[in-house]
Amino acid sequence: MMEMEHGREIIIEAKKLSVSFLIQRHGINNIKDFIITMGVKSPFEKKTVLKDLDLTVYKGECLGVMGRNGCGKSTLLRTIAGIMTPDGGTLTVNGNVAPLMALGVGLEPELSGLENIKLVGTLMGLTKKELKNSLASIVDFSELTQDEIEMQVKRYSSGMMARLAFSIAVAELPEILIIDEALAVGDLGFRKKCAKRINEIKAAGSTIIYVSHHLDEIKNICTRAIFMEDGKISVEGDVNTVCSYYETHLKPKLKPPLATGV
Amino acid sequence: MTKFSNPSKFLGLVVALGMKTIKLRYKNSFLGFLWSMMNPLIYLIIFTFVFGNVFTEIDRYPLYALTGLICWIFFSTTTIQVIESIISSAGVLKSINIPTIAFPLSAQLASLISLFLSMIPFLIMMLFFGMKLGWETLLFFPVLLLFTCFTFGVSLILSSFNVYFRDMQLAWSSFMPAIFYATPIAYTSSLIPEKFLWLIRLNPLYHFVGAFREIFYFNQAPSLIQFGLLSLLGIIPLVLGFLIFTRLEKGFVSQY
Repeated sequence: MMEMEHGREIIIEAKKLSVSFLIQRHGINNIKDFIITMGVKSPFEKKTVLKDLDLTVYKGECLGVMGRNGCGKSTLLRTIAGIMTPDGGTLTVNGNVAPLMALGVGLEPELSGLENIKLVGTLMGLTKKELKNSLASIVDFSELTQDEIEMQVKRYSSGMMARLAFSIAVAELPEILIIDEALAVGDLGFRKKCAKRINEIKAAGSTIIYVSHHLDEIKNICTRAIFMEDGKISVEGDVNTVCSYYETHLKPKLKPPLATGV
Repeated sequence: MTKFSNPSKFLGLVVALGMKTIKLRYKNSFLGFLWSMMNPLIYLIIFTFVFGNVFTEIDRYPLYALTGLICWIFFSTTTIQVIESIISSAGVLKSINIPTIAFPLSAQLASLISLFLSMIPFLIMMLFFGMKLGWETLLFFPVLLLFTCFTFGVSLILSSFNVYFRDMQLAWSSFMPAIFYATPIAYTSSLIPEKFLWLIRLNPLYHFVGAFREIFYFNQAPSLIQFGLLSLLGIIPLVLGFLIFTRLEKGFVSQY
């Protein structure tokens, strides 16, 4: 396909991948049907989100994913992360995935930052020993002070929360890191630090899949990109090509018909 | 395949989630877990005053009612907490690849821990009301194990359906008082007319409450036949619960 990628190890491969959602129809009869058929038949309609999608991701590369809201980006990432199961085609993922689908997942507002590191770390699959080893580096990376780390997370600003969440997510070097528009918060300093850490992860040989609407971020981090439309990949290739396609493609839609702002 | 295929890692996850639940439950409150004792105590006071003089044939009535109440509190709080355990973790479940079953299991664990914590003051109260300790008191543990299997099985079925139809949670809480009065907690089954006795025997809680009472109130070991019945009542719902859960689990993520 692309010459520069010949001979590289494939880490994610999707062939004719289809993923669908069950959409619920309401009604008493449907509850009855549901109980009789045990959730396979009538009360749900299937809505296909990804249709016959083909994608190859190579080890160590950083793939940018772009596309309009609702085009299936998050569904693709969830399927790669193993959260959703494909109902057609094949998907091979050769490595452990650290998904950063949204910042602050699993954080418990009532608990302190420190307790949350332990909790979210466990949810992310770290063992007690791994947690103990990386605790100091997580705290260090988050740049939260001793006071702040012992404070309840509900008193954190959204930027502080983002720092904490990102620090936990990147504590262990993942083979595949998925970032879904999660870094749009945090102050400039921290965003630079995130970018630096992402580059470190990249340099260490991990694969990164990065979803963003910020072309600059994508251009900075990624080498290759895909553009998704209606559950399919419509453009795939060099990051600059895809970015310019994105710009031209979404331009007319960006102009609001009335001057009402956004 | 997943990060939690390793059993010890999975267990660590369940324990961590369970401990979190316990911690959160009593955080920001002065009296902490003493509040969880309030509900049964209030019931006990009401029962003793209202029924204590009615059911005069029941010897040591407060002890009699308390043994039933402990059973009931465990059953009702566990089911309610397990039912919502899956959907209340939807945010995590759709962002991280975690085995869903960890959440109902951790809710069950948390309520078992709560029970053990409250058993200490309850035991003191039961001794005060005339309970005698003996070797058969130890049989509390196997009976509790079977009761936990039963409770978890029922809760797992309800929680799986609850992901698709949130009505389950609402229906269950309105259904609770009916189960409460259908179980001989405040009264004895000897007060029930002979011809309706078969009806009350269909209620699994009747048998579990009965066994706990044998142990704490009558100071007797439940018979082998009783244990056999309790085993069936514990294992069948548990197996059924797991079957239904695994069957419905595939569609969960669409409902979060």
